[in-house]
Amino acid sequence: MSSALPDNTSKAPEKEAEAVPENKRSPSDFLKAVLGRPVNVRLNSGTDYRGVLACLDGYMNIAMEQTEEYVDGQLKSKYGDCFIRGNNVMYISSQRR
Amino acid sequence: MLFYSFFKTLVGKEVAVELKNDVILTGTLHSVDQYLNIKLLTVNVVNQDRYPQLTSLKNCFIRGSVVRYVQIDPKDVDTELLQDATRKENSPQVGGGALMEDKK
Amino acid sequence: MEEPLDLIRLSIDERVYVKCRNDRELRGRLHAYDQHLNMVLSDVEETITTTEEDEETGEEIVSKKTRSVGMLFVRGDIIVLVSPPLRTS
Repeated sequence: MSSALPDNTSKAPEKEAEAVPENKRSPSDFLKAVLGRPVNVRLNSGTDYRGVLACLDGYMNIAMEQTEEYVDGQLKSKYGDCFIRGNNVMYISSQRR
Repeated sequence: MLFYSFFKTLVGKEVAVELKNDVILTGTLHSVDQYLNIKLLTVNVVNQDRYPQLTSLKNCFIRGSVVRYVQIDPKDVDTELLQDATRKENSPQVGGGALMEDKK
Repeated sequence: MEEPLDLIRLSIDERVYVKCRNDRELRGRLHAYDQHLNMVLSDVEETITTTEEDEETGEEIVSKKTRSVGMLFVRGDIIVLVSPPLRTS
């Protein structure tokens, strides 16, 4: 609790996910930080999905919005909302737009 | 458990089971278990000339994990009932002891 | 929306697009699903895309086959992606 640390009261509250020092960020800190942000999801098949990460669960099932599907780097289709079954996910990376 | 219950309602009905190796078996659904393993009776292999080794197949057990699809006669399915059961099973209220909490 | 499966729950009794392994795609009305993503769909159209290489020219030939199924149980482990119909919200 911050009340136990008087020093903290003078500081403006930082965003939770970014308060963790760079070298101590865990994978789940990363996932919390990219929620609601544009991400690239790479599947084991090599297909990429770029869109806004809406939410995810412990199986790495993913819900995304405004998703674009890229096969071999080529835009193949678009989905308003989409659900990706977690077992197919190789990685999630943050994406600048 | 939802699909286990669902398949139990289809026992005795004619179904077509498509396996992940593209083999399609039609037959009468004899029984199903919690893993969705399936026993079929009076089996017919669709596209039998491609799988001559399966010609003599009469009854069989199919491991659930090798199933791709099960084709069902729409007449054998009450979709309203199925949707209600699905909503119940996946509703955020049910499970996790929420119902038990209400009773204290 | 709190968890990804909520997206599927909101699609009950709606037509959905399901992308499966081995270049199979399904379009049908969703009646049931569970946490494995096992599903029951009705009025299903399945599209199978196959790519072959022309022996002489080495060109890729893409062909699509479709078939219709009245009522289909789909085992969840072959599913890659599910997309609900476009909603105006």
